[in-house]
Amino acid sequence: MKQTLRFDQISCRLQVEGVPDVSTGQGDNAIGIITGWNLQWAGRPELEGKKEHLLALIQTVLPYARRLISDAAAPVGNTTDPVELQPAGAGSHRLLLRSSQPDTPPLEVQLDDAELADLVRVLDQLRTDPRLQLSLDLPPARPLRARELGGRIPKRQRLAAPAAAVLVLAVTGTASLLWPTPRPQSNQPAPAKLNVPR
Amino acid sequence: MLLCAEALDLNGAEAMLWLGQDLGLGDRLGSRVDLWKHRCHNPLRRHVRRGGLEPDASDAMIRVLCSQADRLYPLLRALLSSAEAPEISRQRWGLFQERLVELLRERMNLRRVAVQRLLDPEGGAAQRRQLIRAMALAAGHGGFDRLKASLMDAAA
Repeated sequence: MKQTLRFDQISCRLQVEGVPDVSTGQGDNAIGIITGWNLQWAGRPELEGKKEHLLALIQTVLPYARRLISDAAAPVGNTTDPVELQPAGAGSHRLLLRSSQPDTPPLEVQLDDAELADLVRVLDQLRTDPRLQLSLDLPPARPLRARELGGRIPKRQRLAAPAAAVLVLAVTGTASLLWPTPRPQSNQPAPAKLNVPR
Repeated sequence: MLLCAEALDLNGAEAMLWLGQDLGLGDRLGSRVDLWKHRCHNPLRRHVRRGGLEPDASDAMIRVLCSQADRLYPLLRALLSSAEAPEISRQRWGLFQERLVELLRERMNLRRVAVQRLLDPEGGAAQRRQLIRAMALAAGHGGFDRLKASLMDAAA
């Protein structure tokens, strides 16, 4: 029996349709096979697609949100991926959706922080919904490494350690060049002095 | 972020206790004193406790914060939205900043550079916005993993 999951936020609504995968013994209320989905935006064209497109959207938007929480926004996805999300100035984000149809230009959607948060929430609601019994292959949220946080750490702080290392190396090298070389010792032994009692 | 939640909601501290009870974290966050002790592990606070939070205590605090952000989501969204009228948005941010500054002066160590930066009316605007945005993206059950991972970043 066909099931429909619906998740609403202020600026968007996500509907996912599917059926239970009876071969794995799923209940009637579960969705194990996604047959279609659509995402309605306020004042924007409606998106719809297959399961692969929905997974690509989730696998792009949620890692982007993860980076944004750390204030280390960076593009997620590249020109060959069906979904790409990148920062587009302060408080703005550019979502690019590429159709699988040939010669179709990508659809570009500009989102502000609030709309992005709405999108993240509907995707979170979908992935945490117990009725969706489907593996989403999402990478686990992981801490960012220092080089991934490069833009967040002030330049002065980032350059302090390498600059100190170069300075120490220069001072050590100069001091070692100025240090006087020891004179060569003569091979002849000094004459022995006899202590003659007076 | 906990202070931001209190700045947005005058009953924020009480709400944290209720949410802790709702989430079944009563053994960790059963009273105001427990909550205060946990919050005093923040090195930016005026009164700091030594040592770190135990993993389950920090998880409990993150869960409460995510639930608090979920509860306050309409306010967070209104602050972040570019569709709001500029004058209303400016007033909202002004009110939030005013309350946050009061709380910072009351509870945080004002000699810390991070606190001074947040208090700066002009220079701290971007950081205050980042805190609100992080709360919006961490709201709800789905935000727990993201927020926890961000607290373990290399520079954190």
